Amino acid sequence: MNVIEIKDLVKIYSNNVMEVTAVDNVNLTIEKGEFTAIVGPSGSGKTTLLNMIGGLDQATSGQILVDGVDVSTLNSKQLVDFRLHNIGFVFQSYNLIPVLTASENVSFIMEMQGLDKATIQSRTTEILTEVGLGDRMESRPNQMSGGQQQRVAVARAMASRPKFIIADEPTANLDSKTTEKLLDIMEELNEKENITFLFSTHDQRVVNKARRIIVLEDGKIVKDEKVR
Amino acid sequence: MIWSIAWKNVWRNRKRSLIVITAVLLGTTAGVFTSGLMKGWVEQRLRSAVYTEQGHLKIYNPEFLNNEEINNIIPQSSNIEEYLQNDKRIKAFSHRVKLMSMASTSRGNTALMLQGIDVEKEKQVSDLYKFILPNAGSYFADGGSYPIIISDKTAEQLRIKNYTMKAETFDSLRNAGIPASVSEKLKIIENERFNTENLFKKRLSELLSHKEVKKYGAEILKAAKHYRLNSKVVFTFTDKSDELISQAFKVCGVFKTSNTMFDQMNAYVLQSDLAPIAGLTASEYHETGILLNDGTLLEKVKSDIGNTFPDINVLSWKELAPDAAMTNDYMGMYYYIIMGFILFALAFGIINTMMMSILERTKELGMLMAIGMNKTRVFSMIMLETIFLTLVGAVIGMLLGWLSVVITGHTGLDFSSVGEGFEAMGWAAIVYPEIDASFFFGVTLMVVATGILSSILPARKALKLNPVEAIRIDN
Ligand SMILES: Nc1ncnc2c1ncn2[C@@H]1O[C@H](COP(=O)(O)OP(=O)(O)OP(=O)(O)O)[C@@H](O)[C@H]1O
Ligand SMILES: [Mg+2]
Repeated sequence: MNVIEIKDLVKIYSNNVMEVTAVDNVNLTIEKGEFTAIVGPSGSGKTTLLNMIGGLDQATSGQILVDGVDVSTLNSKQLVDFRLHNIGFVFQSYNLIPVLTASENVSFIMEMQGLDKATIQSRTTEILTEVGLGDRMESRPNQMSGGQQQRVAVARAMASRPKFIIADEPTANLDSKTTEKLLDIMEELNEKENITFLFSTHDQRVVNKARRIIVLEDGKIVKDEKVR
Repeated sequence: MIWSIAWKNVWRNRKRSLIVITAVLLGTTAGVFTSGLMKGWVEQRLRSAVYTEQGHLKIYNPEFLNNEEINNIIPQSSNIEEYLQNDKRIKAFSHRVKLMSMASTSRGNTALMLQGIDVEKEKQVSDLYKFILPNAGSYFADGGSYPIIISDKTAEQLRIKNYTMKAETFDSLRNAGIPASVSEKLKIIENERFNTENLFKKRLSELLSHKEVKKYGAEILKAAKHYRLNSKVVFTFTDKSDELISQAFKVCGVFKTSNTMFDQMNAYVLQSDLAPIAGLTASEYHETGILLNDGTLLEKVKSDIGNTFPDINVLSWKELAPDAAMTNDYMGMYYYIIMGFILFALAFGIINTMMMSILERTKELGMLMAIGMNKTRVFSMIMLETIFLTLVGAVIGMLLGWLSVVITGHTGLDFSSVGEGFEAMGWAAIVYPEIDASFFFGVTLMVVATGILSSILPARKALKLNPVEAIRIDN
C-alpha cells in the first residue's frame, strides 16, 4: 500500500532577478512501513521536498497523494487539520513548547486531535517509555539534553498516530552517540509499530541505518535504492 | 491545555511581564480609588441633599412657590396631617413656618429664610442637628428665650464670629501638638480680634512661614475661631396682617454643612416662638418636609399624595436639588469613563509587550502551526495570554483599590491639609470614599475586554507567520 505517491513534482522559487528550481520533476512512491533517508548536498532540495510532502509548502506543479488524498486540493484550513491527523513532524530544533513538560508536550497534540483524557494519558506514558524517557516525563525541555529533546519530539510525532513521520535533519544538532541512540529508537518504532519514517540527513551514520536511500541533486532524484 | 500554556507563557519573560502587570496594577488601583473618591463625594452630596437639606418630599401651597408670602399657607392641613400619619411608607414629617426676613446686628446684616420648626419632629426629618460645630452651642438644647440656630456663614456676615488668639487658644494649640516656636510667633496677636477668616489668614501668613501655615494653619484656625453665642440678632419681616415686625432672637447654636448656599440662606427658630409673632396659628405653615422609609418609592408616594390633595404641590428632592439629582443619574457612567481612559492607556503597553513576546517565539509558533495547531487555537492562546497578563495586575489593583477605599472610607480623607495654603480649607473637605461591589464586576469585564482588544494585533501578527519561513533552519 502506498502512503505517499508523488507525480511530476516541481517547485520553482522565483524572484525578480532569477528562478531557482528547487525540486525538479520528482516521481516517487513511499510504501507503508518504509524507513527512508533522503540525502544530497546542501541546496539539493531535501527540505523543499519534505515540506511539500508534509503539506507545509505548495508545489509549483505536479501531484502529491497522501493515502490517496491530493494534498494540493486542500485549502489552508483543511491543510492544518490534515497535518494534525496524518503527518508527524520532527524538526532539527525548536520542536517543543518550552513551558511544558515532556509529557505535556506529547499530550498536547493528542488533545488537539480531540482524544479523551484517559487515552491521552496512557498513550503519553507508553510512548515516552518507548523512547526511553519514562523517568523524564515531568522534565521541561531546558532540563533535558538535545538528544532527549529530539526523542520527545519523536514521541510527540508518534503520539498522533500519523500515516508517516517526516524528519528534516533530526540529528543535525546532536553528537554521534546521541545520534545513534535516536536512530535506534526510530528504527525500533518503525519495526515494532510499522511507522513509516521519511528523513533527510547529511550524516553518513544515519544514512547507514536507512533501508532505502534516495539521493537528490539539483532537485532531481539521481539514485533510489533499497539497501539491507 | 491552551489555558495552561497561555498562563505559563505569561511568566516566560518574568521581568517584562512584571513591568506590565505593575503598570496595570497601579492604573487599576488609581482608577478604583479615584472612582471611590468621586462616589464618596457624590454620595455625601446626595445624603446631604436628602437627609439634611430637603427630605425626600416637600409639600407646599402652589402659590408659595411663586411668591414666598406669609399668607400662602398649606391648605387642608389637618387632612394632610392625618394622611401623612397613616401612610406606612412615610417615616417622618415636619411642618415649617417660612418667613423671608432681614437679619441684623449692630455690625452687619443679611437676608435669611427664617424657619419656625418643631424641634423633635424636625430632628426626625433632617439631621441638621448633627452639623452644629464644636464649641458653637447646641441645637436648641440650652433653654433661653427666642433661641435661633444660624450657620457659620451667616455668623460671619453678621459679624458675630471672630478669630482671636486668646490664652486658652494657646493652650489648645499646645495640646494639639503645635510647636512652641510657632505659638511664640503668634504671641504678638494675642487677644487681637479678626472679624473675618481672610483677615486672620492674611495676618497668619505674615507671621508664619509658608510651610508652617500649610502644616498648622487649619489647626490654628480651628482653635482661634470664636462665636459670640447668646448675642442678639434682630429679624424684620411682615406678619399676617402686612405689618412690619421686628423681633430679637438669641444665637443658641452655629451649624455648617458642606453646602454653603444652603447655609447662607437658612436660620431656624422655634415654631412656637415664630408663629404667634407672625400672627399664625399652630396649624398654619408653609412647608412640610417628608422622609420616606424607602427612597426608591419616591415617585409613587409623591403621586399618591398629589392625587389625594390636588390643591397642594408635592416636590421631590430631585426637583428641589437638581444638581444632586443629575449627578446621581449620570455619575455611575463617569466611573467607567475614568477606568476606560486608564485601560486605554495601558493597552498600548500590553500590546507592545505581547508583540515582543510573539516576535521572540516566531520559531515556536511556526512549529506549532506546522504540526497542526489551527488559527483558532493560536488566536485563543495569544488572546488568553493577553487577558491573563492584564487580569493579574487588575485583580491585585482592584484589591488594593478596594482596600484603600475601605480604609479611607473609614478614616475620611481630609483635603484641608493639601492644596495651596488655606485655599482648600473647610470642614466639608473631608471625603469618605465608598464603592459598590457591582463596580468591580464592571471593571473586570472592562479589563477582560481590554485584554481581548489588545490581543488582536499580536494575534494577527502570529497568524500571518508562514510556518515554512518560521522554522527555516538559519539560526
Ligand atoms: N524560500 C526560498 N526562496 C528562494 N529560494 C529558496 C527558498 N527556499 C529554498 N530555496 C532554494 O532552493 C534550493 C533548495 O533548498 P533546500 O533548503 O530545499 O535544500 P536542502 O537540500 O534542504 O539544503 P540543506 O542541506 O542545506 O538543508 C536551494 O537552492 C535554496 O537556495
Ligand atoms: Mg534542508
